[in-house]
Amino acid sequence: MNQKEQMLRDIGIVSFALVDLALYLDTHPNDCKAMEYFNHYNRIYHQLVKDFSQNYYPLMLTGAESGKEWRWGAAPLPWEGVCG
Amino acid sequence: MKNEYGREIPRPHPVPDEFALAMAYVPWQKFEKLYDDLDKAYQYGTIFPELNKPFTGRRCVS
Repeated sequence: MNQKEQMLRDIGIVSFALVDLALYLDTHPNDCKAMEYFNHYNRIYHQLVKDFSQNYYPLMLTGAESGKEWRWGAAPLPWEGVCG
Repeated sequence: MKNEYGREIPRPHPVPDEFALAMAYVPWQKFEKLYDDLDKAYQYGTIFPELNKPFTGRRCVS
């Protein structure tokens, strides 16, 4: 598994943890410890997505700061076998 | 009790001293510890150890 695939996997794993925390927080909206964990992993998630976009290609339209070339259009499409 | 959006805030309900018949009860989850290793949590399918109940072919792990 190369660096790019590892990073994609990490992004998936962190967002999984965020969803699990969100499910808990939906019924425990005042739980500060859970919110701390959510904010912590949320920062990590956004950093990973930003790094991935700079190193490889943008995963989301909103993360596609383009200089000269329109990077969002240049990104490989999901059905082109990049999801592993 | 409502929050500023006017939505009812879910709160732990007092546990009835004895349980009425024919009613189902789900204990209120308390925040314990999360799995540190998210890789493992991902394979278990939960970040909460207390919710990690693999099916053992006979009965669930309590």
